[in-house]
Amino acid sequence: MYNDRVVTVLVVLSLIWAIAGMGAGVFIAAELVWPTIDMGLEWLSYGRVRSLHTNGVIFGFGVSALMATAFYSVQRTSHVTLFAPRLAWFCCIAWNLAVLAGGISLLAGWTSGKEYAELEWPFDIGITIVWLSFAVVFFGTIARRKVKAIYVSNWFYGALIIVIAMLHVVNSMAMPISIDKSYSLFAGAQDAIVQWWYGHNAVGFLLTGGFLGMLYYFLPKQADRPIWSYRLSIVAFWAFTYSYIWAGPHHLHYNAIPDWVQSLGVVMSIILLAPSWATMVNGVMTIAGAWEKLKTDPALKFIVLALAFYGLATFEGPMLSIKSVNVVSHFTDWTVGHVHSGALGWNAMITFGTFYFLVPRLMGTELYSVRLANVHFWLALAGTMLYILSMWGAGVSQGLLWLTLDELGELSYGFRDIMASMAPYYALRLVAGAIFLAGAVLMFYNFIKTMENKATVVRRIPEVRTASGVAEATA
Amino acid sequence: MISIPVEVLIRGNRIFSRLDDEPSSTGLVIVKDILPLALVPALFLYFGSMQFGWEIGSRTAILMAHEVVIAISVAYFVALFFGLLGLAVLLRWMAPTYDANLEFSRHLVLIAAVATPMVIGSIAHIYPHVFVNMLAIIPALIWSMYLLYRGVPTLLETTPQQGMLMASSLIGIVLVAAVTLLGITVALWTHGFGPSLGL
Repeated sequence: MYNDRVVTVLVVLSLIWAIAGMGAGVFIAAELVWPTIDMGLEWLSYGRVRSLHTNGVIFGFGVSALMATAFYSVQRTSHVTLFAPRLAWFCCIAWNLAVLAGGISLLAGWTSGKEYAELEWPFDIGITIVWLSFAVVFFGTIARRKVKAIYVSNWFYGALIIVIAMLHVVNSMAMPISIDKSYSLFAGAQDAIVQWWYGHNAVGFLLTGGFLGMLYYFLPKQADRPIWSYRLSIVAFWAFTYSYIWAGPHHLHYNAIPDWVQSLGVVMSIILLAPSWATMVNGVMTIAGAWEKLKTDPALKFIVLALAFYGLATFEGPMLSIKSVNVVSHFTDWTVGHVHSGALGWNAMITFGTFYFLVPRLMGTELYSVRLANVHFWLALAGTMLYILSMWGAGVSQGLLWLTLDELGELSYGFRDIMASMAPYYALRLVAGAIFLAGAVLMFYNFIKTMENKATVVRRIPEVRTASGVAEATA
Repeated sequence: MISIPVEVLIRGNRIFSRLDDEPSSTGLVIVKDILPLALVPALFLYFGSMQFGWEIGSRTAILMAHEVVIAISVAYFVALFFGLLGLAVLLRWMAPTYDANLEFSRHLVLIAAVATPMVIGSIAHIYPHVFVNMLAIIPALIWSMYLLYRGVPTLLETTPQQGMLMASSLIGIVLVAAVTLLGITVALWTHGFGPSLGL
């Protein structure tokens, strides 16, 4: 019998983090419109709650969902139960405790000052231990597999585990001076290069690669047909893995790093478009033909839309990395909009789609309300579109304004003037975020109601014909 | 026989079933619907830029020379005209994948209907302030998206499921096209075209 209880708990924890993390996001969006709502408390200041928002959604919501789906799919693609199931429970509980305690430490003002790696050294050590346990469970299960081939989703989850371990350990190397403060082992420009090698590849291998693992397992499952081109998925995997790791320096354009490193970052970012879009085409062509499923399955709609936003985000990224575009877009809200077209449009939607598929199956019952799921779909679409549009408007205005010179060659606009002119865009973004959060709350309610009707589910492992290593069809 | 933009305004709900019953010729749709739809925003832009000048979050409006405004307005018209035609060509290209009707005039008619709310929203160009324009465009965009998801299954005669996917594909393409235009514009600025930046 498959180990699915740990999957269920991870899904629930991921949902709680989604609400908490997105709630923190809406709060800081409100702070940018009404700066005094922090009531003068440093715990509620923008700088601290912002890291809680990013850590909550990426590591709480995102990684819990990735662990849940990795544990679920690796058992089914390997035809065995989890290797070391107690260690899987340890991953589930310890990871979520680490993110929770880490989140509180961020609010208390502990920070390494590295974006997306803000947690201080005690947490870094804890995260490393949990991540290695995740690796043991995942690769242990694959090692025991009864099916010869390693299915493509496992390649992506495997890359997620290995690359994130490498990035986290290298980027977090630091000299502690007290329990709550440490200093990076790298100095100056090297520290910046290591940080963005980490930062960009966290986006690459966690937010893109990990979620592609989710796509490659759950999309064919939902569409009830195989991947359109399995060969393309493997070629895209290696092209993706090879080119992504070089693209980090595009975060440091016009900075004190060598010019050739910046140019290399641009070239590799542009090359990256090919494997990214190959995957999108593979996904769209897999859905094409699954028309009947689309009628009954709200989950598939989210995945269709997730692929559209994945296409947008993976095109916009290489474009923004070009230096003559980046000189205007860098340090503006255009970047924030780009990140959210990926985070809301791709990561959150693919996860929502997967959960709408997974929760009823784990509970052995029907989804409580398909109608609510459809309302959620339109809220998610409207929220994401509004978010992207408001940030495009804000970003392009900012870029133009702070590059404008007067007759004397002085900057025409001060930072304060520019920020003051941003208020309407920020208000629009607040509305967009609130709409998206409202959709997530509806989904949470829908799942709570679904779980109330749960039945006992026993999933047996299908027999495998040992000669061919291919699973027999089971009823 | 009234023009599609007018019909979207006065009886938006029934337009697709009416158009489905009375198909028109490609040339007629281009002249009667697509051409005016591309022309109106360009005219609004011309008047707004001449009368008030652009405000991009700043205190003072940017007023441009008459020839520059004319050049920008003409370029805008050309871009819109070929943009709308291009979208119809894209729909026609996707049609076999989604088992949709292959008649090109239907794709043109659909694009004309979907573009109408956005064109009406472009009246905000008369007061060319970026935020005012965004406020006008967003409800127009929601209306356009509603028309798109509603129009594809009826007018292109697909199942609602295939229509849903076809409409979503078009949105994906439009988003990529929008960000490409934004990128090209910014790259042109940094290479000395348009506003002079301190680079």
